[in-house]
Amino acid sequence: MDSFLLLLCFLPVSYLLFKLFIVIDQKRHQCCYILDYHCYKPGDDRKISTEFSGEIIRRNKNLGLNEYKFLLKAIVSSGIGEQTYAPEMIFHGRETCPTFEDGITEMDEFLNDSIEKVLDRSGVSPSEIDVLVVNVSMITSLPSLAARVINRYKMREDIKVYNLTGMGCSASLIAVNIVQNIFKCCKNAYALVVTSESLSPNWYTGNHRSMILANCLFRTGGCAVLMTNKVTLKNRAMFKLKCLVRTHHGAKDDSFSCCIQREDEQGRVGFHLDKTLPKSATRAFVDNLKVMSPKILPLTELLRFSIVSFSRKMSQSIDGSRPVINFKTGVNHFCLHTGGKAVIDGIGQSLNLSEYDLEPARMTLHRFGNTSASSLWYVLGYMEAKKRLKKGDKLFMISFGAGFKCNSCLWEVLRDLGDRNVWDDCIDNYPPENLANPFMEKYGWINDEDPSTFKVPE
Amino acid sequence: MPQNLPNFSHSVRLKYVKLGYQYLVNHIITFLLIPIMAGIVIEVLRLGPEEILGIVRSVHLDIVHVLCSSFLVIFIATVYFMSKPRSIYLVDYACYKPPVTCRVPFATFMEHSRMNLKDSPKSVDFQMRILERSGLGEETCLPPAIHYIPPNPTMEAARGEAELVIFSAIDALMKKTGVKPKDIDILIVNCSLFSPTPSLTAMVVNKYKLRSNIKSFNLSGMGCSAGLISIDLARDLLQVQPNSHAIVVSTEIITPNYYQGQERAMLLPNCLFRMGGAAILLSNKRRDRNRAKYKLTHVVRTHKGADDKAYKCVFEEEDAQGKVGIRLDKDLMFIAGEALKSNITTMGPLVLPASEQLLFLFTLIRRKIFNPKGKPYIPDFKQAFEHFCIHAGGRAVIDELQKNLQLSAEHVEASRMTLHRFGNTSSSSLWYELNYIEAKGRMKKGDRVWQIAFGSGFKCNSAVWKCNRTIKTPSDGPWQDCIDRYPVHIPEIVKL
Repeated sequence: MDSFLLLLCFLPVSYLLFKLFIVIDQKRHQCCYILDYHCYKPGDDRKISTEFSGEIIRRNKNLGLNEYKFLLKAIVSSGIGEQTYAPEMIFHGRETCPTFEDGITEMDEFLNDSIEKVLDRSGVSPSEIDVLVVNVSMITSLPSLAARVINRYKMREDIKVYNLTGMGCSASLIAVNIVQNIFKCCKNAYALVVTSESLSPNWYTGNHRSMILANCLFRTGGCAVLMTNKVTLKNRAMFKLKCLVRTHHGAKDDSFSCCIQREDEQGRVGFHLDKTLPKSATRAFVDNLKVMSPKILPLTELLRFSIVSFSRKMSQSIDGSRPVINFKTGVNHFCLHTGGKAVIDGIGQSLNLSEYDLEPARMTLHRFGNTSASSLWYVLGYMEAKKRLKKGDKLFMISFGAGFKCNSCLWEVLRDLGDRNVWDDCIDNYPPENLANPFMEKYGWINDEDPSTFKVPE
Repeated sequence: MPQNLPNFSHSVRLKYVKLGYQYLVNHIITFLLIPIMAGIVIEVLRLGPEEILGIVRSVHLDIVHVLCSSFLVIFIATVYFMSKPRSIYLVDYACYKPPVTCRVPFATFMEHSRMNLKDSPKSVDFQMRILERSGLGEETCLPPAIHYIPPNPTMEAARGEAELVIFSAIDALMKKTGVKPKDIDILIVNCSLFSPTPSLTAMVVNKYKLRSNIKSFNLSGMGCSAGLISIDLARDLLQVQPNSHAIVVSTEIITPNYYQGQERAMLLPNCLFRMGGAAILLSNKRRDRNRAKYKLTHVVRTHKGADDKAYKCVFEEEDAQGKVGIRLDKDLMFIAGEALKSNITTMGPLVLPASEQLLFLFTLIRRKIFNPKGKPYIPDFKQAFEHFCIHAGGRAVIDELQKNLQLSAEHVEASRMTLHRFGNTSSSSLWYELNYIEAKGRMKKGDRVWQIAFGSGFKCNSAVWKCNRTIKTPSDGPWQDCIDRYPVHIPEIVKL
């Protein structure tokens, strides 16, 4: 009888333990690790200085002095430095009539470089890749860029491949989202996320104010990220994905149309950036944080914030400052999309971040410019090169994109990192004492010129 | 006459032998169980009722035993149910029906072609020859911008076409299924050659005011097989997220991609591609189990991009004048055949009944050991599927697949009629074909459908669906006004 009673207790307990085991086993194989990543750095002959940008603007017959002043002011105050990279066709003077081949060649340069380097460094052969996600927003080709990668590197026949386009500067995290979901279904897989932006075919040749800005702000760049969910590689992995939140404000008309590709009155296609862009961005950002904060901040901070806001509301004080949630309690490093100086300043202000926190983003903007979706990985590279990333640190990535989307995610650093990667040649010069653009001293007089008497200097 | 008779009886005998073999192998477990069951029944009848009761009492069934054994049963059942992947159901789908004003009968197409290609009559002749042999009918449609002479492909016109096709399809889908915009959790749009920023998915989110935490993905450049790639992505996402709805929109926007040059290999797509789109609602919710039309059983993807020839056979590039177009290689059919072989090698073991698999194994062994030059055995896929939806890529594709898979004319009827009525609508053609089969009242519960699509790269993707409930002839849909005229006989060459 006793033995039967024992069996009676033993069975349900073992059943519960087994259920627990299955859940843990599933979760073990569902973690998303970054094994390695490599950012693209073109050759020195592709560097573009502010002076050269000025020349390019002058070359454009459609732009008069007012546009010249407007654009130069924008470039000078954008926080972009003198060493950013531009696509090759600009150096041949062909920016007004790019060919289809130009766009493809631009992509080929990047694809042939970064993917090979990341696979070599991590010792994974291309035929071991199970998932490939390529995202390049502004070019479509048949076969897709993903098929180009498969052809170049001779990947397997049963590979799961996805080619995302049109998703803007936040597409890196959307690609990571796809990989995260596939990892939950497939065990022991390798995934390659390739992200870049195509600039050559998208040069705007008209003179509509809201559209000429896009020409000057984007720069060439790209990144290939190797991810896995193999538990055995946990020791070699760099980062682990903790959570990812996507917010899409396309339902609001002004958010949808603040950043849109369309034709101007003359029928020229360009990227229209509306004045309501900062407002839409802030709205999307706040919504995203509302969902993200409970997932990443410790309970103490959430409690403190709710108590302070509640008491503020109750006391109805006319005190100007609103309670600010302190993200630094749950996050050690902030990886911000380098959309421009205004974007970085705006995020810094709303999250109450110090100059030290914003330094990686500012320096990336200075050195590489706004490389669209891949900018997050350059910022990450800076932090790693400066040896800021230690085991156990939490890293918060946030990006914005056309639509209007705001995507963010939290990574945990799995081991001390210190590789100088793409910042190798210049990390020692950063941060510089002075970020001001040298162009201002030389050409500041342009702001005083009278449009009626001005002749463009030869 | 006398020569035919022996063959006839021989083939009839062979047919019965084959049938007998299939029944035996596929139902082998039943055949084994029957004697065992018969033995048990005879034993029980022999024993008599009092002896049976005596045996039952002696087993000492007390409460502890009952509890333990029921725990064991529940335990095993839970483990089994937890390890099963979630079922993905296709609740319903809607295909876009272009308006009559967009129709391009042969006469219109040739007239436009003569005007646009004034300087090269040889190219006009080439287009005429292609059109004659294409298998297209007089009711296929092109978007409004292409009806201009010369065509006027602005970005606004392309956006207009996208809005027209996608919004009509989604409106029809929402009306059919009753799903509300707030219920949609996943949205995937695939369109190969038109990708504005913000994406087409953002356009859909904006029009229908979808939720801000929607998971949206915009795939492009993946060719005519992109519809099945989107279904694969939706399946992976629905496995992870319980209780969700996913909408997949497959379309191809023709406006920006109409080739305006004179190179022949690039004029071919102009003759074949037409306007079309489809919206599909997928779900993994339990309550959709009864009203869903199909259940997704398998998706198999094959990518031949590693082979250079396969990669280059459908290629977008500039011609000598700098005009962008899609070049189709002469080896396309051969490469398609190779890709199909790879795909069915993976697909075969998943869907073929045991009889076919054994036959394949035996013939493989025989070929390897005895006769290396023997023809490979092509498994009879008609055993595994009742309906076939072959991407209506062109007449040659359908002919090639009919030959390779040894299908009858009725099996490929849906594909041929879709090509005739709607042309090659790229990734959405599979859904027009499925709708044809339903409109003809041929879809019964338990029927299995095989959708095959080819795409640039070179990809061959297949999806297998199982019909969940017998489908009544739909009262709406793209075939509603013309299904009674079909099937039509499509001559080899239509004289223009």
